[in-house]
Amino acid sequence: MIIEQRPILESIDPEILDTLAAREHEIAQGASVSSSTAALLALGSIPIALGALSREAYGQAPSDVLDVLQFALLLEYLEAEFYQRGVATAGLIDAADRSIFTTISAHETIHVNALRSLITAKGSTPNAKPNFDFTAKGNLAGFNFAVGQYETFKALAMAFEDTGVRAYKGQAPRLINDAAALSAALSIHSVEARHAAEIRRLRGKKGWISGSSREDLPAFTQGIYNGEDNQSQGGVMLSTLPGYGANGGATAATEAFDEPLTKAEVTAIITPFLA
Amino acid sequence: MSQRPTITIPDAGMLATPRTRRDILKLLAVGGTLVLLPAALAACADDNGVTQPQTRQPNTGSPLIIDFAKGDIAVLQFAYALEQLEADFYTKVVNAFGSSNLTADDKSVLQDIKYHEVIHREFLKAALGSANDFTVTPTYPGVNFNDRRSVLTAAKTFEDLGVAAYNGAGQYIKSTDFLTLAGKIVSVEARHAAVISDLLSPKTSAFAPTAFDDVFRPSKVASAAQGFIVDKVSLNNAPGTFVQGPNNNG
Repeated sequence: MIIEQRPILESIDPEILDTLAAREHEIAQGASVSSSTAALLALGSIPIALGALSREAYGQAPSDVLDVLQFALLLEYLEAEFYQRGVATAGLIDAADRSIFTTISAHETIHVNALRSLITAKGSTPNAKPNFDFTAKGNLAGFNFAVGQYETFKALAMAFEDTGVRAYKGQAPRLINDAAALSAALSIHSVEARHAAEIRRLRGKKGWISGSSREDLPAFTQGIYNGEDNQSQGGVMLSTLPGYGANGGATAATEAFDEPLTKAEVTAIITPFLA
Repeated sequence: MSQRPTITIPDAGMLATPRTRRDILKLLAVGGTLVLLPAALAACADDNGVTQPQTRQPNTGSPLIIDFAKGDIAVLQFAYALEQLEADFYTKVVNAFGSSNLTADDKSVLQDIKYHEVIHREFLKAALGSANDFTVTPTYPGVNFNDRRSVLTAAKTFEDLGVAAYNGAGQYIKSTDFLTLAGKIVSVEARHAAVISDLLSPKTSAFAPTAFDDVFRPSKVASAAQGFIVDKVSLNNAPGTFVQGPNNNG
């Protein structure tokens, strides 16, 4: 990864640079409203700026970035081991689908290694891989990657990928002051979305999430989909947009936006998978 | 017209443009040159009642300026421009369903994506408020809206570009709320990209060709998008610095 050393936004209007400098100071002071938000509001009738007021200044210290990276690493450990075990079991995965899962497995392992490198590069030590329980504390009793359990394997894959998308999305704001970490996280985030869509389609579902539907997944996975039915985006209620009804209504409106999950929500989802 | 236009059509694949006989006659009427090689002749379709607007050339229209001195607003405007392009593309795709050779599954997917992209466009238009006052004029040189492979290939181009664009714009966003909003949209674009790629190359690695998605700087995105935009796109005060993503190709 090449990181250009000049300060970001160097070529931009000096006023913006001043704003940024002022904002750094405010963050250090723990201020809840930055002057860049004030500048946005000054631009006029921009409803989206209203939502920026309360949340702009949270979580950008280096320790916060490391916390995000370690959290992402835990999720990637879970996915990487899941696919490695699946791919390693002869006869579990339908032969016709094998390329899909070897592709995803390779990606998750690369993600693990990339996150470990990022953490190390920041002078910290990557957390060790924990032991996992892929029965989710008995919710999927008897699941052990055995031949004949392909449907359960695919269902779990969908659950993990849809979780991964929401988890990265929820953590991205905490990386806002670390462009290298943010770029890496965003480039993984969208790959998880590609995986999710592919597995959903493989299971005969739409590639996107409609409302808060978990489709045919077991009830204990509902937390992965709660809140996906949100239609209030950046201060705009989607149902008020022109052509809403003729353009797919609530189903399309909720599909068009993936929602974030907080770290606590993701932790609750994956805790059953920790041995 | 200072230059004589030329169309060279070496094979039927080149006829994947909405260039009908009427358009070719127009070209000849202004003194242009049509080079139609033998392999193309069999595929030269008649007008069949489907509206085939004359293809306007990219980068020949009015200036369309996005001024990054506006900060986050410019990033949203940039997104709005791309979503206008995508929404227009899929609307044309859906409107051509009756005459295209798309499968029922293709159409189901593309109908959904059309909905999503129109919602993205209308959402950004509303969110931008007074800063939404510009309209992109798209053009699709080389795209045949009646042909499955042509449509899906173009769709893949737009979706992959959209993903790389949002991923690359992230580092310029100063509001965490805007960053989250961009994240909410980009993963849906990535879902689209995967599904479209899988329609083109089922059950291969095409749905996610690399472990990291591309992260493109705005000027690289604008150059790619310009091939489908009549307006002359320019980015004023474009950020001079860019932090590469893992693929190091932005």
